Amino acid sequence: MTSWSSLSEAKQRALLRRVEKPARYSGGEWQACDKWDVFFHLQEEDRIRFAFCFPDLYEIGMSNLALQILYATLNADEHTWCERFFEPAPDMREQLIKEDIALSSLESGTPLYAFDIVGMSISYELAYTTVLDMLHLGKIPLRSVDRGERDPLVVAGGPVACNLEPMAPFFDLVMIGDGEQLLSDITALYRKKKQNRMTKRDFLFEACRLEGIYVPAFYDVTYCPDGTIDTIEPNVPQAPRVIQKSVIRDLNNAKMPLAPIVPHLNVVHDRMVMEIFRGCARGCRFCQAGFTYRPMRERSFDRLSDAARSLFQKTGCDELGLLSLSTTDYSQLSELLEALIPRAEKNHVNLSLPSLRLDAFERDMAEQVATTRRAGLTFAPEAGTQRLRDVINKNIVEEDLLQATEVALRNGWDRLKLYYMLGLPTETDDDVDGIGYMVNRLIARWREIPDQLRPRRFFINVSTSIFIPKPFTPFQWAEQISPDEMRDRQQRVASALGRNRRVNYQWHQFESSVLEAVLARGDRRLANVIEQAWMQGCVLDAWHEHFRWDVWETLLSEMPGGISFYTRKRPLHEKFPWDHIQIGVQRIFLEREWRRAMEGKTTPACFEQCSHCGVGKYGSGVCLQPPRAATEKGFGHE
Amino acid sequence: MNNTQLNRVLLYYARTGSTAWLAHLDMMRLFSRAMNRAAWPLAWSEGAFNPRPDIVFGLPAGCGIELERDPVEIGLDVSNEALAFDLEDAVRRLNTTLPESVRVVDAAYTEPVGKSLMSRVFAATYRIEALGVSSAYTKTFTGAPVMVEHVRKKKTTTVELTSKIMDADVSDDNTLLIVCGAGSVNHLRIDLLLKALVRDGGLSPEGAAGARLVRESVLINTVSR
Ligand code: SF4
Repeated sequence: MTSWSSLSEAKQRALLRRVEKPARYSGGEWQACDKWDVFFHLQEEDRIRFAFCFPDLYEIGMSNLALQILYATLNADEHTWCERFFEPAPDMREQLIKEDIALSSLESGTPLYAFDIVGMSISYELAYTTVLDMLHLGKIPLRSVDRGERDPLVVAGGPVACNLEPMAPFFDLVMIGDGEQLLSDITALYRKKKQNRMTKRDFLFEACRLEGIYVPAFYDVTYCPDGTIDTIEPNVPQAPRVIQKSVIRDLNNAKMPLAPIVPHLNVVHDRMVMEIFRGCARGCRFCQAGFTYRPMRERSFDRLSDAARSLFQKTGCDELGLLSLSTTDYSQLSELLEALIPRAEKNHVNLSLPSLRLDAFERDMAEQVATTRRAGLTFAPEAGTQRLRDVINKNIVEEDLLQATEVALRNGWDRLKLYYMLGLPTETDDDVDGIGYMVNRLIARWREIPDQLRPRRFFINVSTSIFIPKPFTPFQWAEQISPDEMRDRQQRVASALGRNRRVNYQWHQFESSVLEAVLARGDRRLANVIEQAWMQGCVLDAWHEHFRWDVWETLLSEMPGGISFYTRKRPLHEKFPWDHIQIGVQRIFLEREWRRAMEGKTTPACFEQCSHCGVGKYGSGVCLQPPRAATEKGFGHE
Repeated sequence: MNNTQLNRVLLYYARTGSTAWLAHLDMMRLFSRAMNRAAWPLAWSEGAFNPRPDIVFGLPAGCGIELERDPVEIGLDVSNEALAFDLEDAVRRLNTTLPESVRVVDAAYTEPVGKSLMSRVFAATYRIEALGVSSAYTKTFTGAPVMVEHVRKKKTTTVELTSKIMDADVSDDNTLLIVCGAGSVNHLRIDLLLKALVRDGGLSPEGAAGARLVRESVLINTVSR
């Protein structure tokens, strides 16, 4: 067994020459953190080597904002050196296995097993087998119980952390909530562990008292005869009954990565990014991030304006993304764009605003944005009819979409991307057909614009995904439709749109949505299935060319209750595997929202009217602000 | 001197270590970003949709080849008088905004000579470090033509190598120095050379794969206007 840094240069070259895109593995990017010369002057017990693992390929991981935020946060501490790891592509993976080389860091070529803390940043359920693969390639025992005192502490966090039960046996601890404070707390405590020669178990006893830290091994789960959860109880006195998420009250005090790593490769989102706010005030009922990251907390205009200046200078990139879950909800967006656009133009920088809400896509903004960017525009109506949009609380009306499209067309856009979801609760054929009707009306609207004021051509890209019920959403009780229904509905859309040469319809293989649904609301019993699937070769499941449904289907069908046990509709009283996690939003509020959904009633955004979801207890962000004036259009809230 | 005429700079740069693994397009991006960071007043090509900075490399560098002195020509926008541009200072700045493994080693103003930098490149010198590479070379290149197959985009062509090599120094058995054709005519691909050395010269495949490849210089025709 060997590591990258211990190979001869000739050997390194030979390996890199055998793989595609060797720059994925060669490191040395601009502003990657190299502490080699300073770090080792510290006493061994005074320094923490942190392995930041992103269980996907380099190009995906390096597009991830959380990586940049946490990398900057961790490396700001002189006692910590955070280095990066990604899953190698199959060609490199094969070489590592063949030559018995341990997965090693990009910064210093140090093998994963030699780190103090291994942190898995998990953005999606389909990364679970890749997590196991990285541990395995890094020569670390997969299960917590099989790791000894000398093995690294293996921790996890990220958007799926609110229910990592299917991965419970693999992690020593899970971080729930905003990562910045959590990671500082953990590295500080780990330093204490090293200094005082504490055992791992004693460390975990202390750790589990911190806000946002969940130690899965400290909880026992029992099941009812029908397979549902009966009890989740702590098995040590130190562990709290309920784990509270960690919340950064004032985002202006949190670190922004102002000098981020600039990758050499053309990564998926090859741009500098700025998180303008965290959390979302809207409450779309299918959206997990919309509830788990509450409350909506904005960064101040001044902070962002300064940040943009630093990013321009420190990265030299030609695109700046203003990120959030719903960018147009930023209270000072107009002012911010006004300040940024001239600077962006001067520096030949494009501004990109993903997550635009189309009701807010007004003429002014279209004109502002059009000056710097004329690539595709994306809107997400999510459902084809007003009735269903009310059910999911996507508070937009058809006229919003028509209006926004007209504004876009008149400002030079000729391509539109529309996102929809199939299989939402209460969906009927009428809702599915609504997608086709809407697309036709958009094309009609384009025709109505006088020739000289509209683009010559107009293309619409329609993309559908399958609804996946997620924990901590009002739809956590909902069922996922059957594969047959998925196929039927995809075909229904395809045949409605297929005849239109202005429309391109994209849909995804639905099997991975089934797996995602199983894992999202899964429990600890799935850990064996995940491990088995990985042993049978499943890895990088989010890549359709690597996804092996045959393996998963067989393994899941062998479980009592099979796949449908996990995709079924849940009764309101059922105990969930994640009931001991407190994400802020109360179960009773979600239940109320679920009922309102069934009644077709919408709920206003936080900044219009508070709905008392439970997050107010953090005394932060939008919860403290007086209501904004409701937007002119009025969304028909009752 | 009239400053407005000095709007083209010819840089020579070196790259080693991690950046030797970048593909040509990645290298372009690396330079334009480093120049943005160093506040170089880059000239931009016209076109509203995809304006590009005016950065032209003399000879694209293959992935895995280190460079010691490769030319790159930069167009500057000196229309703004307020932006006094001092080349020496600008190069110093640039060397602080480039990754450590890339260095600008020389820079001078240049004048457009009608022909592009790329079309003026005619030769390059390489240093190839591998066990027994020089004896493999002597064994392979005896003066007779050496034909190798080149597969590109599923199409196979046969390429003759001897005529592309102008000079070779085999005095050190583990270090081969060659001068060869480069650029748009008579270009020698180093991977094909290694292929021939393995096939005909007895260089081990592992040795070829692990060989250190260094382009020491790129030769440019100076054409007067
Ligand atoms: S407490 Fe009110 S304002 Fe705060 S997140 Fe919940 S609904 Fe929104």
